[in-house]
Amino acid sequence: MSAFAEFDRERQEIDNLIGLGYTIAGIYEDLDGARVTFIRSEPAGGPVELLLLTADARKHVTTLLVGRTRQTAAEIHR
Amino acid sequence: MADLSIDFAGIKSPNPFWLASAPPTNTGYQVQRAFEAGWGGAVWKTLGEPVINTSARFAAVHFGGQRVAGFNNIELITDRPLEVNLKEIYETKRRFPHHTIIASLMVEPKREKWHEIVKRVEAIGVDGLELNFGCPHGMAERGMGAASGQQPDLVQAQTAWVKEVATTPVIVKLTPNITDITVVARHAVKGGADAISLINTINSLAGVDIHSWNTIPNVGGQGAHGGYCGPAVKPIALSMVAECARDREVGVPISGIGGISTWQDVVEFMLMGSTGIQVCTAVMHHGFRIVEEMIDGLNHYLDEKGLASVTELIGKSVPKYSNWGDLDLNYQVVARINEENCINCNKCHIACEDASHQCIDMLTNAEGKAILQVREEDCVGCNLCSIVCPADRAIDMIALDNGAAPMSWNQRSRIISGVNGAYSEAEAG
Repeated sequence: MSAFAEFDRERQEIDNLIGLGYTIAGIYEDLDGARVTFIRSEPAGGPVELLLLTADARKHVTTLLVGRTRQTAAEIHR
Repeated sequence: MADLSIDFAGIKSPNPFWLASAPPTNTGYQVQRAFEAGWGGAVWKTLGEPVINTSARFAAVHFGGQRVAGFNNIELITDRPLEVNLKEIYETKRRFPHHTIIASLMVEPKREKWHEIVKRVEAIGVDGLELNFGCPHGMAERGMGAASGQQPDLVQAQTAWVKEVATTPVIVKLTPNITDITVVARHAVKGGADAISLINTINSLAGVDIHSWNTIPNVGGQGAHGGYCGPAVKPIALSMVAECARDREVGVPISGIGGISTWQDVVEFMLMGSTGIQVCTAVMHHGFRIVEEMIDGLNHYLDEKGLASVTELIGKSVPKYSNWGDLDLNYQVVARINEENCINCNKCHIACEDASHQCIDMLTNAEGKAILQVREEDCVGCNLCSIVCPADRAIDMIALDNGAAPMSWNQRSRIISGVNGAYSEAEAG
């Protein structure tokens, strides 16, 4: 599988969870990759964990977080 | 024509082209010929205690068909008496009053020794002093040169001793044989340095003769480490200049030295923060007249850019030099092969397969011609294919808009620790 295809599969998993109303609650990185914890309050459920293996997926998930932070900051300033 | 004159820490010079302290500035005859050729200034070959040099003393590294890609020497400071040098400096200054003459100095790290030489040199009318804390060989074994320059406290103390008596600007020349150049630069400034110059030569062994098993150069079958310079050291010098230029605690003018051979090199050093530059190896290779091309090239460049003075270049690229942690991780370039310029040598394919991300495919187009094509989604934009490509304009690196907002490693780290902290608190709560 090409590197892009591996990344694309992981990106879809992340985007699917975000689309279902999950938010990123924790990112723990080690030699195996990044373990990303997603939580959802409505409807409530247990946390979901993804193990991201590709560098681009790790970049993607934190880009989403940065985007969310910037959006929140912009809303506060509005 | 733009104004090429500079004011370097109070030292006026008709242009930024100075000869570095080295064999080309050993005598009045040489420096006067250099000024006639167009050099704006010269740093006189280091004055100090009488020394004796070895034979042989130079070596060169020729690489890929280029002679003197790098240069190595085990020569020491001047082996001529101080009085002779002073007389020739005086005569040269009298003949060329508007050209810059800097005296390079090196003595033992003793206060009275520094006071004595500074007073004697300034008495004959030099425009400034350059303290040589850089030479890695010979003098370092006697506690001078790099031996001093590698000890920040000693650099500071000796600079302060010089400043106690100096009436002209004091430039401190730094050794690159150190982990962090800014540490020594800051200490030089704390000692009162009006400016710094860098880099001096880098510890080196030019080579080994695989037939005689002698080192290159050898002195009767024995060798020693020497100082490396020439075009090969330019990237090291440029980065050290940049590090000093962006360091707020340094904050003094910089004379850039290290592999400068062309007017383009001069522009690069000035953009990266040098107020002036010094040249040695290129003159040893090609002679004083290379300055004519440097002056012409610089003049045309400044005219093309619409700049009235060379000083407008100084430091313009410094804000573009930052830390890896502040680079945008979401910026993306990809390689694009131009079929019309590609010569199908396949070097890009091999480099990508063996050393990069296996994203250049060998295909056949509709006319049955072999072509190379990049799978852009797999390309990480490493530049390797365009670096190894021997054909002009056969591979372009194209910036893509991937829609992602800028994000640096530092921002990423902060946001991860923030979200992890919030999650931990939520779990605890």
